[in-house]
Amino acid sequence: MIGLIKKEFLMLKSNIKTLGIIIIIYVLMAIQGSLSISSIPSFLGTLIMVSNFSYDEFNKWDAYLITLPNGRKNSVKARYISTIILNLIITLFVILLGILISLAKSQPIIYKDFLSEMFITFLIAIAMQSFIYPITYKFGMEKSRILIFIFIFAIIAIGSIIIEYVNLKLSSIFINFINNFWSTLIPITVLIILLLSYKISERIYSKKEF
Amino acid sequence: MKKAIEVKNLIKSYGNNFQLGKINLEIPSGLIVGLIGENGAGKTTLLKSILNIIKYNGEIKIFDKDSQKEESIIKEDIGVVLDDMFFPEILTPSDISSIMQGVYKNWDKDLFFKYLKDFHLEPNKSYKTFSKGMKKKLEIATSLAHHPKLLILDEPTSGLDPIVRGEVLDIFLNFIQDEEHTILLSTHITSDLEHLADRIVFLDAGQIIFDKSRDELLDNYGILKCSEEDFSKIDKNDIISYKKSKYAYEVLITNKNKISKKYKDLVVDKITIDELMVLMIKGEK
Repeated sequence: MIGLIKKEFLMLKSNIKTLGIIIIIYVLMAIQGSLSISSIPSFLGTLIMVSNFSYDEFNKWDAYLITLPNGRKNSVKARYISTIILNLIITLFVILLGILISLAKSQPIIYKDFLSEMFITFLIAIAMQSFIYPITYKFGMEKSRILIFIFIFAIIAIGSIIIEYVNLKLSSIFINFINNFWSTLIPITVLIILLLSYKISERIYSKKEF
Repeated sequence: MKKAIEVKNLIKSYGNNFQLGKINLEIPSGLIVGLIGENGAGKTTLLKSILNIIKYNGEIKIFDKDSQKEESIIKEDIGVVLDDMFFPEILTPSDISSIMQGVYKNWDKDLFFKYLKDFHLEPNKSYKTFSKGMKKKLEIATSLAHHPKLLILDEPTSGLDPIVRGEVLDIFLNFIQDEEHTILLSTHITSDLEHLADRIVFLDAGQIIFDKSRDELLDNYGILKCSEEDFSKIDKNDIISYKKSKYAYEVLITNKNKISKKYKDLVVDKITIDELMVLMIKGEK
């Protein structure tokens, strides 16, 4: 499996220029103060991993992967582990970048706020990827793009209806509960989403033919 | 003799379009078995079933082990080249070696780099910069560098020039020197099989219509070229199939020596695998 994790990272080469340009633009905008760099992890990891999906599909890698020892079994596992590692690396990189920018601008940052902000974006990244992967495994890159867009739109729509309902109908006890325990609830929810997503992806992949 | 591959009652359907099987096939260790047939005859489907790339009905054993239940152990000893290119284009041969080191227990980095040198492949150039032939050579090098016992190769020599093809065939012949080693390969370049294969398995419309040793095939089968008048004199029972061209008849026969004696005025030529394929598929009966 280590080989397959290595492969995901070696394939970063295909994106290296784009990534460099994105990071430079982000940093410049952050220095100017027009953008917060803490949003980088939530899309950068997704961008990289989705592009790896595309490359694998384009290069017909999966058929070969299955001929390797434990190929079918380890493929999904390796991709999820790589995703978590990649998100961690990006998050740590952005934390470092944040500190450097604050030093360069001689503006002290409130570490507690900055780190919790980074933690949240890390979780958002994981949740987004957990959501995208099973769809991509099931429908392939081409079809899943449209489906992911539809699903995100549906979730936002349903979410806003629920929030409205909660605000209108539910007692303040429930809202207080969420307000007090979000720092525990959100990571646990994301972890459950991640595990569920992994199990679904594994199941889909175990039945796939190439 | 140990069995390298055993296929029992294999059936694979793609809706109403195509069905492979029932296929029953036994391949003992130590042989090179060539799989031939038209495009769409089911060669790739059979190889993909053996490798569990596709789902199927039936039973497949490799090295006497169930190919699904003991897949991971079995695959440590199989080297594969697929019909389509399959490495991510951005990777270099060095990257592939580094990946395979984390995949195969027996990955032999030195052997891999030796093959790269023999094949004149730059270790640090990306796969996408390679020509079709170079890509094939890299795939072959990768299939051999973990010391497999069984090679499953789908069109391994397509796209290679005659010189490189010769080198590759020599590697396969060298590989098969070990009695435990086996090669199952599909190819359209049937002349390769005439030098290489011990056995020829012929697939047509998803069925095995022919499974014989190369010697039996080349020694026993023949092609009788004759005029329409001579053709009418041939006993129908001696004809497997025939093809009528503008000026002559080509008749596929078996028992070459017996036929030569029986029809002394007619010439029985040696047959090539290509001619056999054409006569068996397109010939009239």
